[in-house]
Amino acid sequence: MRAGSLALHKRFRSQGQRLREGVIRWITRRHRDDGSEATLGRDRIYILPTRAGYTLLAILGVMLLGAINYSNNMAFLLTFLLVGIGHNAIWYTHRNLLGLKVSSLPTTPVFAGQPLSVSLRLEDTRGRDREALHLSIGEYTSVPVAVPARGQQVVSLPLPPLGRGVYRLPRQHLGTQYPLGILNAWSWLGLAAEILVYPQPVDPGAAHTGLGDEAGPQRRQEASTPDHIRPYRPGDPPGRILWKALARTGKLHIRETVAGGRDTLWIDWSSMPASDTETRLSMLCHQILAAEAEGRAWGLRLPDQILPPGQGPAQRERGLRALAEFRFEPIPLPIPETPRRTKE
Amino acid sequence: MNRAGQHRSPELRGLELALLALPVAALPHAWHQPPWVTLLVAAAILLRTWLHLRDRRPPALGLMALLAAFAGAMTFLQYGTLFGQEAGTALLLVMMALKLLETRNRRDIVIGLFLGYFVVVTTYFFDQSLLIAAWSLLSAWLLTAALVQVHAGRALERWRLAKQSGWMIVHALPFMLILFLAFPRVQGPLWGDPQRDEVATTALSGELNPGDIAELLQDQTTAMRVQFHDTVPPPPAQYWRALVMTDFDGRRWQAEGGQSSIEVPEADDPDNVVAYTATLEPTRVRYLPVLDYPVSLPDNAEYRDNHQVIRDRRIVNRIQYDAEADLSRPPGGEEALSSSARERALELPPSAAPRSRAEVALWRATHGDDDRAIIQAALDRFAAAPYRYTLQPPTLAGDVTDQFLFETQAGYCEHYASAFAVLMRSAGIPTRVVTGYQGGEWMQRGEYLRLRNADAHAWNEVWLDGEGWIRVDPTAAIAPERIEAGIGGLTGGEGESVPDFLRRDGLGWVQQLRFGFEDWRDFARFRWESWVLAFDPERQRELFAHFGLDATDWRDVVTALGAGFGLLAVAALAWAGWRRPRRPLDAADRLLQRLSRRIERQQTGLGRHAHEPVVTWTRRIKAARPDLAPIVDAFAEHYNLARFAPARPDDQAGHLMALRRLAASDLRKPPVGQPAPRTT
Repeated sequence: MRAGSLALHKRFRSQGQRLREGVIRWITRRHRDDGSEATLGRDRIYILPTRAGYTLLAILGVMLLGAINYSNNMAFLLTFLLVGIGHNAIWYTHRNLLGLKVSSLPTTPVFAGQPLSVSLRLEDTRGRDREALHLSIGEYTSVPVAVPARGQQVVSLPLPPLGRGVYRLPRQHLGTQYPLGILNAWSWLGLAAEILVYPQPVDPGAAHTGLGDEAGPQRRQEASTPDHIRPYRPGDPPGRILWKALARTGKLHIRETVAGGRDTLWIDWSSMPASDTETRLSMLCHQILAAEAEGRAWGLRLPDQILPPGQGPAQRERGLRALAEFRFEPIPLPIPETPRRTKE
Repeated sequence: MNRAGQHRSPELRGLELALLALPVAALPHAWHQPPWVTLLVAAAILLRTWLHLRDRRPPALGLMALLAAFAGAMTFLQYGTLFGQEAGTALLLVMMALKLLETRNRRDIVIGLFLGYFVVVTTYFFDQSLLIAAWSLLSAWLLTAALVQVHAGRALERWRLAKQSGWMIVHALPFMLILFLAFPRVQGPLWGDPQRDEVATTALSGELNPGDIAELLQDQTTAMRVQFHDTVPPPPAQYWRALVMTDFDGRRWQAEGGQSSIEVPEADDPDNVVAYTATLEPTRVRYLPVLDYPVSLPDNAEYRDNHQVIRDRRIVNRIQYDAEADLSRPPGGEEALSSSARERALELPPSAAPRSRAEVALWRATHGDDDRAIIQAALDRFAAAPYRYTLQPPTLAGDVTDQFLFETQAGYCEHYASAFAVLMRSAGIPTRVVTGYQGGEWMQRGEYLRLRNADAHAWNEVWLDGEGWIRVDPTAAIAPERIEAGIGGLTGGEGESVPDFLRRDGLGWVQQLRFGFEDWRDFARFRWESWVLAFDPERQRELFAHFGLDATDWRDVVTALGAGFGLLAVAALAWAGWRRPRRPLDAADRLLQRLSRRIERQQTGLGRHAHEPVVTWTRRIKAARPDLAPIVDAFAEHYNLARFAPARPDDQAGHLMALRRLAASDLRKPPVGQPAPRTT
């Protein structure tokens, strides 16, 4: 009986949630794709009283009854003054969001299992100080931030660690209860931002010893044959600076491995000593990081794509992105949506 | 929930301001609450402040519960209940203080601040003065500022909080005004008898007993204030009738309510009518003082057959009423006095005042049937020595009339009115005593008459066939200055002490200043009371009627509220439009304006009109002043290039420089033989 009613309750709750989610989807259908920037206009700001707001309403009702009962004109005056303040709070709270420009900032990719954060930039264009704005995505809510008049402020929302993949930013919620906390004004945003989560690096050597032997001779061989010297460019790994040449010529030079040369390290899907996709990707990830740390040129072979050899931050990013995207269609961040409770 | 260190967390931002705002809101209660409440509230707030400054945690919940139970018990011991105005307020104050003491999070502060608004409202149970109104605004300001800080998410600068919350209150004032005037008012109370514990106020008593008015005579509090619509009647004509006393038991006169209602007589001559608005302090009785003789009364009052005006309910709040009086005409002259009424007006206990009766018998013998001569004889008697007017008469024992007339011969209005009535009744002339107010202080500032309780007065009315009830004031015979200049006209005889507040002449400048200040204060108080506190369902009905609306019809109420808020919305939009910063004129526009101004100064009518295109304007100038053609043509060209041609910044600068040069060029080339057509 009791278990049954609990299950019923749960079912209603989940149905209510589904209904609620549907309503929100319907409301926000126009703002689903805001691109990278959106301005909060009247058509997308919603406002409702908070629990404190209803409490104040009840208190004002009691005050009004008292004023009538005691025929006390001063009580009428104060009650109506507070009614006026409460009413105007609708306007104040709404205005705190109105005309705010919100843009999504590119998110820094992370490795699986690392905490990530999403950042939006809030910008005032109307010469008005904005207070206590909080960004929520699903059940995660940021600390309140303020935006100075004609200024901007970045609000970051730390999210929990995720698994490897490419994610879209789900619907964002920008809300405020300033100044009185009796009303909650909010807007739903559909700003786009790509969130890359690289695989968690796993040392294949630690998993399988055979690999170390294979990599060892290659590295030695490579170290003995400088094949190309060119002047130093910013961003080049310091490990490859020719210090002797510097002493001789007074100029910075580095040794560069020619792409496609015989010293190129091929990081290969098929040679990873694991059978499941994610572990393989993790190992590939480790290999890329190791190659980059050593300043070697490397190429990546995946079952469905080949990354030509190269080296440096851009190559590293290309490689890691390929791993993150590998057999992964972009999905919204899997963030639980809890029924939003307005806080006092 | 209650980790150490959490109490100083951002959650408690705003607590400092709440710790300031709540005591401010509660301060006026200190004068009306038993000392233990004040002490408990002060202690709780001080303790919380100390804990907060020391970064300590609030007391444990168990202790708080104990304190709350203690406060409840104390309240119950004090008042025998936990409800009602006084007990409820005490409990509210204590709860507010304890809530503040136990504040742990933001929600607690918000609840404390909401309670703070309630605390402000309960102040009005005890005091409704203008000062309290100002204090309430201050409290509301601070409470709102604290609420803003609580929700700001960061520590706001003090001036910013002050400004923000100040504007919130200013913006709310129009709402307050509209709702105050148009919100449907019903006559309270909705439950209980809320006036039960209201402070009793001075009022004329229903009995006249030597010594009664004497108490009032020392009472300088205001009884009523009157504004005359056009004519201000002279002081000797200002008799405010309140109670009519017909029954006499030999010592004490008693008021009677009258048997039935009668029509208010019409004025004989409209020019003689004095219209006025009276603001009456709560008296807790039903009679309305009206100027003699009333010809028009407020709707909720009736005119009784003994010429007393009775309101439909006790006057428990300050009320305002409009009435009219015809100063010249006593009521009821046309009809004869009914035999029962005559009998009543002649009634005298057989044993009362034997010496007086003997004297009256002598007068009758002298004057025969001439009632007027007998009245005059009585007045003459009072006017002659050794009768004197005094506010400190000797006490009377035995037969009050005889003792006063033949032995003490000193007294004030009551004594004279009572003795006169006895004399008249002995002579067979129907007589009654009327009490009310006479005199008052004319307040130059605000132009209103202020009647204090000290202006209470008693006089007589005698019935003369064919004329009706004629007013006779025996006090006028002994102390005409009392009637001429009011109670303030008394200078105090030998060794008499006149109440302090009546001495207005021959004072030092400090005193003068004080009285000047008093006048101002009374004026402000009067305005406050007549405009705000006296606004009741009755006044609201009149206000609605002013606009052709009916305050009891909900559709009209909706109309009024809608019109009020509609006007407010229009005003707000207009304000917003006016406040929107206009686009700053760019450099080219400013130069255009400069040139236009200079040409206008040269020749009126050639200035550019606000929306005139530059091309049209140049054409107009060239027609009137061909000599300016090179300048204006060049200007127009550079202007158009500078404003509308997409140009590189350095091009733009070149055009602007040319414009600047042209705008400053010499315009003084007098037109030769060319009439300047005036264009408009």
